[in-house]
Order: sequence, then structure tokens, then C-alpha cells
Amino acid sequence: MIPHDEDHIPVFDDDAREREWLAQETAMRREQLQLDPASDDARSRRYRLIARRLRQPLPGTLPADFARQLAMRVGATPAASAASGASFEFRLMLALAAVLGVASAVVIVIYGNAWLPSFVELLPDPQAPATRWLLALAGCLGVSWLLGLWQRRAHPQHD
Amino acid sequence: MDDIRSSPDQALVDAVLANRPGAFERLVREYQGLCWHIIQRMVRNPEDARELCQDTFLRVHQCLHQYRYESALKSWIGRIAFTIALRHLQHKRIPLLDPGSDHDGFDLVENIGDGFDLEAACMDEETARHLHAAIEALPPLQRTLLTLYYLEETSIPEIARITGLATGTIKSHLFRSRLRLRDTLETRTGVAA
Repeated sequence: MIPHDEDHIPVFDDDAREREWLAQETAMRREQLQLDPASDDARSRRYRLIARRLRQPLPGTLPADFARQLAMRVGATPAASAASGASFEFRLMLALAAVLGVASAVVIVIYGNAWLPSFVELLPDPQAPATRWLLALAGCLGVSWLLGLWQRRAHPQHD
Repeated sequence: MDDIRSSPDQALVDAVLANRPGAFERLVREYQGLCWHIIQRMVRNPEDARELCQDTFLRVHQCLHQYRYESALKSWIGRIAFTIALRHLQHKRIPLLDPGSDHDGFDLVENIGDGFDLEAACMDEETARHLHAAIEALPPLQRTLLTLYYLEETSIPEIARITGLATGTIKSHLFRSRLRLRDTLETRTGVAA
């Protein structure tokens, strides 16, 4: 079980109350263990009587076939699994991405002629030396990434 | 988390989520006593309690995929039962606690009568009836906390996870209700003794 910070049970500020609480607790434990009440004082015996009464089953109960009836009732509707919840989210994400893609394509077709040339002007000159070095660096990184991917597939690690 | 994930709770949850035959029935059987104790103590009406127990397990079935093993399955299901019973009481405008019950009554029971015979008092029908009436007269929250603590043998931190109350608040409620019951015995058996 995960330890929770709030599991700590605070002590009463008043000593007399804390002593009374400890008497209640001791009587409960002694009753659970069914220890001989001969050595208990009058207060402890009263708390033990209370404990005995509180440990008795409650009146009334659920029908004997409660679990079976309920299982039959939910049998028609299978429990929603975490996987099905996740797959719904994934399908929703795919649908939204498709809508975004279609909307982007429509916008480019309608308004592309007006603003695409401005973007083309912003692109770096492919003949410039700095652009060549950047392309070479990107190529190295890409090849390194692909090699890593291939190695992981060829030699999978079993933890 | 590993402790809970490797416990029988996980096997049961996995079986229910995989819709294995008999798994949900097993889960209901395992926890129906807990739900009955919580709900019956809160609402007291047996017919309402049965209906609310059913609602609890239907909700468990519906939401089990959201269980994240952050607490024991018992606490998670108990929390659902407690919340459903709480909503029922709110709907019926039944107070969870006695209004103006700030005083714990400790001063009233500082004097303890002598010569209390536990077995004789236990056999005395009049005393048993008196004590039963005193327990029934407790506010719904205190009745439920006592039942979880004594009958279900649930620890105070676990009760805190079921009810959403702080451990100090639960301790205080248990202390007050036991004092109140002892006061009942003092007046009753003091006369009898």
C-alpha cells in the first residue's frame, strides 16, 4: 500500500483525553483477543461491553443471490477496460488530426497563392556554405538515429 | 504501488476488466459485506440500503477501469459506497452529525462507577436493549465510523481513505461516540449495579 502522509494519527492536546482514548483502545484490543476481563477495571469492562455489542453483525442483510443477480444484470454490458478507454482517446485524437489536416489543405488551396511566396523568400539559399553545413549536420544526425533504430530492432533488450 | 499491483486485488480487477466469467460476481461477494455495513449504518432503512448497495456495484462495474491502485480495492469500493450513501442522506436532508455537537461530553463521564460485572451486563437484556438504542441514536457518521472500526476492523488511516475525513477527525468522532455510549452504560448499569 502506498504510504500516505495523512496516515499519522494526532495525539489529543489534553492528557486526560489521550489517557481515556488509550483506555478505549486497550479495551477494544482486549475484547478482540477475548482476554479474561478479571484484571480489567470498571471503565475497561464498560468499554469491552461496548466493543462486544459493536462487533455483533448488523440486523438484515443482502439477499443470498445478490452477487449472482448483479453479475447477470451487468453481463450484457461488459466492463469498460482501460485499454478501450485509451483506444477511444486515440481514435478521437486521430479524427481531430484528420480534421486539422483537411482544414489546413483547404486553407492552403484557397489562400496559398497570397502568402506562400512570402514564405519561400524566407527559406535559406541552398547554395550558401552555411546551409550546406547545416544540411550535412542534419544528415549525420538522421543516419545516426536510423542506425540506432536498426540496432534496437535487430537486438532487442529483455529486462 | 508495487504491493497493491502484485496483490490479489490486481488479479481480480484484471479478471473483471477482461470480462472473465464469474469475476464480477466474485468481486461483489468479496465486498458486499463492507458495502452493506457502510450503507446500512448510514441510511438505516434496509430497502434503501439494498438499492444503494446495488447502485454502488453498478458504479464499480462502470468505473473499475479508472481504479489506479493508489489505495486498496477495499478502500476504493468503500469510498464509492460511502459517497453514494452520503448523497442519499443529503437528498433526504438527513444531517450527518448532530448540529452543535462540539462538546465531547468528557467532563460528564469522568466519574466511573465501581463493581461492573461484564458478563452479567452482557447477559442482561435490558442493558443490551439500552446500549442498542444508544448506538442507533448516534448520528449516521459516528455509527458508520464505529462499525468500520469494530465490525470491519478497518484501521483509522483506511477509514480516512473511505470517508475522505482526516485521521484526527475520525479519532475525535470515535472518542466522542465511545464516551457517549459509556455514559449511557454509567447511567444504566450504575443503577443496575
